[in-house]
Formats: sequence, structure tokens, C-alpha cells
Amino acid sequence: MVVRIRLARFGNKHQPFYNIIVAQARSARDSKPLEVIGTLNPFPQRPTNLSEQEARTARAYKEISLDRSRVKYWLGVGAQPSDPVWRILNLAGLVQQKQQSPK
Amino acid sequence: MFQWLDTEGAPLKHHIPGSTNYLPDLKIRGGSFDKGEPSTQPFPLNANFVSESILSEELRNEIHKRVVGQKKSIRAVSAELGVDMRRVAAVCRLVEMEKRWKQQGKPLALPYARAVHEMVPTTPLQDSRHQRQTPHESINDLPAHRLTNAQIFYPVSESRQFTRIEAGRVFSAAPARDHRIVTEEAANPSEAMSRITQNPSRIETVGKGAKEQPVLQPADVRIPHPHLVVHERQRIANPNEFQLVRKAYDARLREEEEIERDRKLIAQERRERQLSRVQPESSRFEFRIKDVVVSKETTGSDGRGARAPGRRYGVPSYDRKKGQIKIPTQVVV
Amino acid sequence: MRNRATTPLSKAKIRQSWSKYNLYNLSRSRDPRTAQRTFFQQKWTAKSLSRNYHGEQVRESEWERMFSRRLRSVVPMDPYKLARDDGSGMAAGRGSGLEKFPEENPTPKRLLPASRNPNATPYTHMTFAPLERRLDVAIFRALFASSTRQARQFVVHGSVTVNGKKMRYPGYLLNPGDMFQVDTERVMFATGAPKDKFERREGRVERKKAEAKDAEAEGEEAAAEEAKENESEGETKEAEEETLDTRGTLKTLLDQAKSIMTSNKDVLPAKRKQEIRGFQKAIRRVMSKSPDSSILAANLETQFAEIMKVLKAKKIETKEAKGSKKETKDSQKTETAPTTPEAKGTETAATGENKPTEALNEAFRQAAQNPEEELDTSELTDEEFEVLRHALVQLRDNPIDSTKPYATPWRPRDYMSAFAFVPRYLEVNHNICAAVYLRHPVARPGSSEVPTPFGENIATAAFSWYLRRR
Repeated sequence: MVVRIRLARFGNKHQPFYNIIVAQARSARDSKPLEVIGTLNPFPQRPTNLSEQEARTARAYKEISLDRSRVKYWLGVGAQPSDPVWRILNLAGLVQQKQQSPK
Repeated sequence: MFQWLDTEGAPLKHHIPGSTNYLPDLKIRGGSFDKGEPSTQPFPLNANFVSESILSEELRNEIHKRVVGQKKSIRAVSAELGVDMRRVAAVCRLVEMEKRWKQQGKPLALPYARAVHEMVPTTPLQDSRHQRQTPHESINDLPAHRLTNAQIFYPVSESRQFTRIEAGRVFSAAPARDHRIVTEEAANPSEAMSRITQNPSRIETVGKGAKEQPVLQPADVRIPHPHLVVHERQRIANPNEFQLVRKAYDARLREEEEIERDRKLIAQERRERQLSRVQPESSRFEFRIKDVVVSKETTGSDGRGARAPGRRYGVPSYDRKKGQIKIPTQVVV
Repeated sequence: MRNRATTPLSKAKIRQSWSKYNLYNLSRSRDPRTAQRTFFQQKWTAKSLSRNYHGEQVRESEWERMFSRRLRSVVPMDPYKLARDDGSGMAAGRGSGLEKFPEENPTPKRLLPASRNPNATPYTHMTFAPLERRLDVAIFRALFASSTRQARQFVVHGSVTVNGKKMRYPGYLLNPGDMFQVDTERVMFATGAPKDKFERREGRVERKKAEAKDAEAEGEEAAAEEAKENESEGETKEAEEETLDTRGTLKTLLDQAKSIMTSNKDVLPAKRKQEIRGFQKAIRRVMSKSPDSSILAANLETQFAEIMKVLKAKKIETKEAKGSKKETKDSQKTETAPTTPEAKGTETAATGENKPTEALNEAFRQAAQNPEEELDTSELTDEEFEVLRHALVQLRDNPIDSTKPYATPWRPRDYMSAFAFVPRYLEVNHNICAAVYLRHPVARPGSSEVPTPFGENIATAAFSWYLRRR
């Protein structure tokens, strides 16, 4: 069976929060995983403690936490990231951008 | 009721500028106005609540001037004027805001502020330079620690040097220290204390895993101004050399400030190192990727360690339950 | 009309409110009787009494969830004592001969009950400390609202911000360092005396006028302008008549300023208002003398600035004149003459700030003693300038404005002083109606920071009620 790196939804209604987990592909989304290797907060946060000028140009940010060494290990043993996790790992510079499949 | 308001309660109707006008005063002065000191107790039945003085306008501006204008540290200003450090910071914030309002031409509530300052006792600013500023409040408040609630019977041999440091160790169930270390520290207590205050991350801990907690430190370290204790020690040692002691005090204060600044800088750098910011072209957001560690140490043996990343498993979310109050818990500036 | 349900007179309940009904209830409140009542009954009474005051707007279940049996306390430490003693004496004393027995009082001190021992920490007064974190209670404690219910309304109606963001939840629990801010107009309304019947009517008339003006402006602008011109012409004519006698106008101005500054609270508000209005008019007349008469139409702020400028110019003139006079006198006597007039000016300013009324009286007495001389050389003395300045400052800061929802000029509402205190866990700036929640309230030896009208026995019984061991 395939081991996947994917997201598990936590948080409240209208207020998602994701754990980045390593789990068997066929297991339930929120069941206990093999390992939790990070988190993703999809709600954009406003940067604080800025001067007015900075505040005008500042981008809202999304918080991600990730254990890079564990990601490398799991990729090395053949774990397959799901599409959203692939994008996150690409941001972290751990995988190449996924090729668009030809239509 | 109206009879009472017209007769006995009549003095309470208008405030007496520059003095308090509380209910217990009625019984003391018996309707006549100027007999003795005005009471600072607003409630007749509660002698344990007194109306404490607030900062006068001049003192507030002085604090702002010293911190913002003369660039003194909050700690120094707090020790000089006898005002709590948190209050000093708050005053600076508020006065700054007031200035901004004046610049923008927003109307201030001046008559109201004046009336309140007439009703409530205020701490005045000592105008002459030679007079010492009367302290506004006690600046060295020691919060009662949870561990000291217990009453412990702990027999000690007479020959043993059993100081506040030892007592703290007993409260947190830490093993007794070696005799040599104790005598060494007793020889130079100031240095021993500053070693702790300057490196708070190196305080010894007791307990394992989730129960790990720092050893309870003595009051000399836990008060907001530990440097004042060292200053007093120097004053006791050199009772006649004011200049020398004063100089040493200033030097120590500067040193403490520098160390604190360095500590903050290092912490900031560490945080920056662990954080990588990505601003992809295709997205309007920035992504802040924080490095975390997933290992046996952080997750613990049962996988539920508090230092590991991620929300915990086995903890239900009660957000749809009845009676859950969903109001914000904090507002970030 | 008072709310009969919240401040009943028949069964006195003390509330977080500044109403006179509450004050009366507070004045006749006594400790409940405990003789021949079971402990449960005592606790029940204590709980219900204190809950009527603390968080009466909070549901019981909500409060029970907030209750914490851990009561915060602090001990003020003296660095001198800490430096003198490292605490080893406590352990070394027994049997080593270091321990001293007091000779006069060999029997150990009897432990006083907490209520009579001034240095005991009143822990149980901290029972309701978690409620002081609530935003509505904190607003009331900072003297921004006349009751917690009103504070709650301010929050719900959106005139309160926390850290610069609008906060609509009265149950928001403030964190240490949070700054909350209430709309100044709302605060002035809450703490100011209410309007009487005539003032309300004035306000209505004013509003109608404004509406009518708006309509007119929309309809025909030219006509309005014409009318204005006519008006201004009439005014200037009047002003000309008045300014013929500058001395007279200045004198009347001063008289009015004096009456404004010295009038105490016994004077009826209506009469006081008349006085102030007269003063305002007089100022206008004086100003019409000045070359730039367009200020008349402008707002009070610019008027004030202009008049201060005029006065300053005059003051400099007087100073010069006086200085020259002094110099001549001094030269007759001695050669070394310090610059006295300036020093005098600063002195009067200082005293004027401290006790305006006294300085005024003094000034007027002086003015009365030698009116001709002073007015001959220069029209006003330094003291008189001070008087005028004070009156002007007051006029600017506390103007008459019948559009406001409170009685103008603003004065504190009746019986406010009996409830006016600011606890130490808040740092309040009343000028901008903002406050910072510094820390959670704490108890310290001899006093607790939670304002509660009840004594030790009620507090202790209420605390033990919520310990749930009944």
C-alpha cells in the first residue's frame, strides 16, 4: 500500500486548520497518522507592527510549519505527496513543480 | 430617599476640587465640610479597598519626556519615579496617542479629564530638582508563586547555610546543592543573582518530560528590579561614598540594558533563522515556512508532546456545542 | 426615569452604577445578619448580594465557568531588606543563641482575625477578579461610563475599540497590555450632567434651524448670501458703536471673565450660561476691532487663536512700556536692575494655573485700586491678561453647544464624585478617553484591587459558595 503525505483537516467550522501528515493512502482523513510533520494555516494573516507606509505594500501571509528532514526521509522511502502538499513542498524548495498533465 | 439626598447626602452631590468626596466621609465629618483628612475609602463596609492615586498630568508628561525625549530605558525611569514598568510603557503609549490627536485636531475631553483629576487623588510631580519624587506605587511586587502555597515542614541542621535560594529549591523539590557552591555564592551574592537574571534560559530545571519545570528562584531574582537589591548592598557596604555607589549603579543599569537588548536580538535572529519567507509570483500571499522538529523528544513517548507540531489527536472540538462563547480572545496591534 | 428593576428601594441591591438611588442604597447597606442562620443560608445571602454587584449582566453559568479558586496576590518587597538579609537567619536561629525573645511581651502575639489585622492580605475580596477582565466592567472602572450596563451599550453600539480595532463584544476578556478606547462624545454624555427641559428645547430648535438652512442652501444660495451680508453689516455697525470706547469694552470683558471664573456650582446653570454667552459676544466685539474681521464667521478655534495673538501683541507692548517705566525708576535708585517684569509674568502664570480664582480676585483688587494709572499707560495689566487667558481657555475647551446630548458647558453629573476612583490595574488617560489594562488585579497586604462594596465576611462566604463545597 502507498504511503502519502497529505493534509488532515482540524479547526472549526468555517475556520480550517491543517496538519501535514504521513499516512497510509487508504486510511481515513482525520484518523491517527503515521506521523505529523507540519501544519498549514490557510487563513491569511495581516502582518502587524508596521509603519503606515509598510502596511500599504505588505502582503498578507500564510503560516506553514514543516520538518524538512522528515519530509526528505519520507520522500526518500517513496511517500507520495498529494497535490496541495506538493505545492507546499515546492514552496519549501523540497520538490520540483509538478508538470501539468497534457490534456 | 430624597430626604436623605437633600440633607445627609447633600455634600456628595458636587465634587470638592482637589479632594475625594466619598460616602464614609459623611459619617466622619457629620455633614460639615472641612474636618480632618478626606477619606480614600469609597465603600463604607469595605476597609480593604482604597481609592489609590493616579498619575497627575505633569508626572505623565515627565515620564513621556524621559522615555521618548531623553531616550532613557523604561527600567531606569521606573526606578527613578517609583512607577511600575508596565505603567511607564502604557503612559508613553497613551501620551503619544494624545499628541497624535492634538496634531490631527481631534477634540479632547478636557473638561471631563479636569473634573476627574479633581475628584481622584493624584500623585504630583515634585517640581524642584532637589526634592525626591514620592513613589507612585511599589515597583518591586513579588507575585505569590503557586509552589509556595504549600506549607512544608523541612528540618534543617543548624550548621547549614539555608537561604532563600535553598528554600526555593525545597519548594520545587530540587536536590540540595553542594556545600561548596553554597558558601561560594554566599561570599558574593550580587554576582550569583546577576548570573541568574542575565541568563534566564539557564535556570536549572527539575522533573522530566511534561512535568519539567524551572526551580523556584529566590525573591531577589523574581522581583521586577533585581538590580536595586545589588545597589542597596553596595550602599550598605560603602555608606559614605554616594558618588561611587551612584556611578556603579548607573554602570550596572547600562550593562543590564545592554545584556537584555543583546538577548532580545539573539532571540530575534534565531526566530528569523528558523523562518523562511516565500513570495511566489503566482500568488498574492506570502508564505512563512517555519522549521520545526519532529522527534522522540518533542512528540514524547505517547506522541502527544506539547512541543511537537500539529493539532492533537483525541481532543474533540466543541465549537458547535451549545453555550460555547465565540468571541475573540485577543486583538493584535 | 430610573430602572426600578435594577435599583429597587424596597429591597436594596447595590449595583455597578453611579445613580443616586444606588448611592442611597449603598449608604444604608449593612452586613447581613448571621446569628441563627445556617452556614448555607449565610453563603447564599452573601453570594446573591455580591452577584448583584459583580457581573449582574453575566449569566450565572457563565460566571461559574470564569471563577477560579486561585487568587492572585503580590507582596511588595523592599530591596533594602533583601540586601540586608539573605534569609539564613530564619534557619540558623533556633538554639544557636541568635534568636531573640522580646522581653516585654513574652507571650506570642495573638493571631488577629483578618478583618482586624491591617496587614492581612484580603484574599477573598479577589473572588470576582476574573470579572474585572471583562471589557464592559473595565470601561466602567476607568470612569468612561456611569454604569456597567451603559458601558455594555457603548460596546454593543460600536463606540469602543480595543487596540485600535472595533470590539463589539462586552464579554471580551482584556489581556494585559490591551488598550481600549471609548468615543469621547459618548464618555462626555455618560459622565456629564443631563440637559434640562430648556436645553433640550434649544437643541431641537438648533437642529431645525440647521435643517432649514440646508434646505435653503440647496434652494437659493444668492438670497442666503444677501441675508448674510445684511447681517454682517448690522454687526459691523454695532461693533463700530462699541469700539468707540475701547476702554469700556475691555472693562466689561474683564468683568464678565471674572464672573465666569469665580462663579461656583451654586449658581444656576442657566444663569451661568447667560454669563458665558455675554462673554462670548463681548469677545466678538473686541475681535471686530482687529483688522481681519473675517474671523467672526470662522469657528471657535481660530477665534481663540486670533484673540490670543491680539492679546500677546498687547502684552508685549505693555511689557515694553512697563519695562521702560521700571528702568527709569530703577535708574533713579540703583544701576543694576534685573528684568523684573518677565519674572513677574511667569510668577503670575504659575499661581494662575494653580488657583485661578484667587489670582483673579487679586488681579481685580489691584485693578480696582489703580484703574486710571494702569489704563492710561497700557490698557491691561499682566494679571488681567492672565484672567482673560483663563476665561478664554475655558471658553474654548468647554463651549456651549446645544447640539450636544449633554448639558453644555460640560459639568460632571451629580453624585459622580462619590463613585470616582480608578483602580491601579488600569492606566487611564482621560483626555483621549483611552486606558490600558496593565495586569490582572491582585491582592496585597492590607488591600485588594477589586473594587467591591462588601466587607470581609460577605466576600469570604461568597468565595466559599463558589468553591462548591456546600
